Amino acid sequence: MTSIGTGYDLSNSVFSPDGRNFQVEYAVKAVENGGTAVGIRCKDGVVLAVEKIITSKLLKPGANRRISTVDRHVGIVSAGLAPDGRHFVSRARDEASSWRSVYKGPIPISALANRLGSYVQAYTLYSSVRPFGVTSILGGWDSEAELAVDGQVGSGPQSGAGGKVKGAKSGGPGLYMIEPSGLYWGYYGAATGKGRQAAKAELEKLDLASEKLSLHDAVKEAARIIYVAHEDNKDKEFELEMSWISSLEGPTKGRHEEVPKELLEEAERAARRALEGDDEDEEEGAKGNEQMEE
Amino acid sequence: MTGFDFSNYNRNAALQAKGAPGPKATSTGTTIVGCIYDNGVVIAADTRATSGPIVADKNCEKLHYIAPKIWCAGAGTAADTEFTTALISSNIELHSLSTGRPPRVITCMTMLKQHLFRYQGHIGAYLVVAGVDPTGTGLYTVHAHGSTDKLPYVTMGSGSLAAMSVFESTWKPNLNKDEAIALASEAIKAGIFNDLGSGSNVDVCVIEKDKPTQLLRNYIRPNERGQKERDYRFAKGTTAYLNEKVFSKEDLRKYVTVEEISGDPNLMEVDP
Amino acid sequence: MVASHGLTGMLGEDGIHVDMNHLKSGEVNLGTSIMAINFKDGVILGADSRTTTGAYIANRVTDKLTQVHDTIWCCRSGSAADTQAVADIVSYHLNMYSIVNNEAPSTQVAGALFQELCYENKDMLRLVLFVNWYTGIGHLIYRCSAGIIIAGYDPRHGGQVYSIPLGGSLHKQAYSIGGSGSTYIYGYCDANWRENMTEEEGIQFVRGALREAIKWDGSSGGVIRLVVLTAKGAQRHLYLPDTDYTGPGATY
Repeated sequence: MTSIGTGYDLSNSVFSPDGRNFQVEYAVKAVENGGTAVGIRCKDGVVLAVEKIITSKLLKPGANRRISTVDRHVGIVSAGLAPDGRHFVSRARDEASSWRSVYKGPIPISALANRLGSYVQAYTLYSSVRPFGVTSILGGWDSEAELAVDGQVGSGPQSGAGGKVKGAKSGGPGLYMIEPSGLYWGYYGAATGKGRQAAKAELEKLDLASEKLSLHDAVKEAARIIYVAHEDNKDKEFELEMSWISSLEGPTKGRHEEVPKELLEEAERAARRALEGDDEDEEEGAKGNEQMEE
Repeated sequence: MTGFDFSNYNRNAALQAKGAPGPKATSTGTTIVGCIYDNGVVIAADTRATSGPIVADKNCEKLHYIAPKIWCAGAGTAADTEFTTALISSNIELHSLSTGRPPRVITCMTMLKQHLFRYQGHIGAYLVVAGVDPTGTGLYTVHAHGSTDKLPYVTMGSGSLAAMSVFESTWKPNLNKDEAIALASEAIKAGIFNDLGSGSNVDVCVIEKDKPTQLLRNYIRPNERGQKERDYRFAKGTTAYLNEKVFSKEDLRKYVTVEEISGDPNLMEVDP
Repeated sequence: MVASHGLTGMLGEDGIHVDMNHLKSGEVNLGTSIMAINFKDGVILGADSRTTTGAYIANRVTDKLTQVHDTIWCCRSGSAADTQAVADIVSYHLNMYSIVNNEAPSTQVAGALFQELCYENKDMLRLVLFVNWYTGIGHLIYRCSAGIIIAGYDPRHGGQVYSIPLGGSLHKQAYSIGGSGSTYIYGYCDANWRENMTEEEGIQFVRGALREAIKWDGSSGGVIRLVVLTAKGAQRHLYLPDTDYTGPGATY
């Protein structure tokens, strides 16, 4: 980067002459070294997955979780500096609870993404702070059911509310990715961290926009993508952590939960199998080449 | 600590509980009215100020300026109506300068109600707000607790019942300017003659679109003090006296010393 | 609806003795008839139009049906100053909500905001005296001077009616009646209420109920105002006493 030695990279809230904030770009570098995290949005739910590099044999497997629940219906996974990620989650929980105390109901995923985007952005404005060293993927489910006000008494007419517009869709999945600049977009599939390029390439192949992928298949795809993304970093051991949020009819009933152990293991087996298959193909191809050379 | 101190209230309540008579609140009498007409709005007020049973001022002004085309008639505590309208007038002018637009009546009414609501009725200002702005004609009442009403004709103050009886019996839709002025002053007169707290003269303010606002001070003076038929001056020599001594100006000379001052008295002394 | 009130009293062992002379000049009074109902296509709100300061009618054509968003309205009863202030604050928040979240607020959101204000501020709100006229002893009751009924329509939830009574609790109801006049029409409403009425039947029901409330309650009166909230938006109705509240009906 040409910035080194120019002085424009030393402080937050200082632009370089060509309009860049180098502190934010360095924060992105921190993210690019983090374990790969992906999120997949499908019609009946959202899956979050993260590759946890095992930095020590002494770490207890299954402990040290990287995906957090923000509110009953929202989860967050981050790539980058883990402590920044935890602070970010803490803020997200405060926002969700503040929404509940004012509006007596769950915060919509879009509103939470908006508030968190504003929060992260504020850390790019002042010289006294540094930007967040994380890119976070926010996944959740806005309830499609009729919502009550928390603490209300009674339930209105027995026949239900009149005048509802038939077939009007409400609620559904939400997936957002928030970057260190505060920039956030809504996604069908999101990936960040070290293996994001490979992961994004895999996500694009899924044709998520058509909403044909089921939540169960999305879990398997997410596991496979993390494994694929890990291929370039094979020398390090990793652990796969996954969570999901389904519709009210689905397995989690609109809640953000860990993917059950059996399903996680099944997905991991399938992911390994898929990768081994790829390897075999490659080996066969290699052999073929050798043969041709002979 | 800032804000109101209620310790005197508690003291008074305790004294009253022991049977002592509490301090009496000063009742302030007034009649103020407002009435919309086809092209504008007219407000009117009596001019009596009372302090207890005493008429404190026979010709006071109860119509307050807010903006060139927004005026207020005030009832209740005189000091509160005076200072509240002055404060809002100031803020309205700043607001108008900042937006670069003429101020609106509803803005003024909202500022008044929010100010009065914040003070929970302790500011005893009962106001009729009237004016013309780009959105049309506005006429509102604002009570001391912060509630507001929007009506084609309004009355407030102790004389409001008398004044309202005039409106309710003679008001009709689509009045013209002269009819509106006549109706409003008639309503004030009803207050002046039938309410002990109201009296003296009728002040009127006419606000119309594209015309300068007219403040008709003492538009009607139904209580002119007439020439007295008789007086109590006594004829010269009514009081008898025993002796008389007359001093002339010259006689006084011997009691005083006169000194002449030299130089021009118009010249100022200047330090060298 | 009360435009303003104040009180003086004497402290005694059995509560507060009412200064009868002061009450005569009349500052404290509760008088309103308000209601809101669910019907087939949405909700209908209704109210009388009387505002009193003591025995005096300060406004005989009051509009107690207040809009806080496009198709969320409320009926106000209690202190005019308090309920106007509360409605203004909620209106501001709903406006902000629709801008920030780029969607219209649901009736639930409005209900939650009204409840928050009424519950959290109930100790600040003024006292109301209920007087036993035979003993002259007044009972001081802390009152959230906002007795509010919220009714709204949105395409997702349809029509909904919420009421917030004295303490600041929130009740979702099929229909709700409130104010001093409501005590006279519990029987009428119970006997005549049906779920899934048509708009015409709903209007008849509300108009009939308020007509009775106004007839029996001295502190309710004036005209009957209605607002019908459906997918088509808000429609106002007006019914005048001159024709025994039969017309003119829908306005603008």
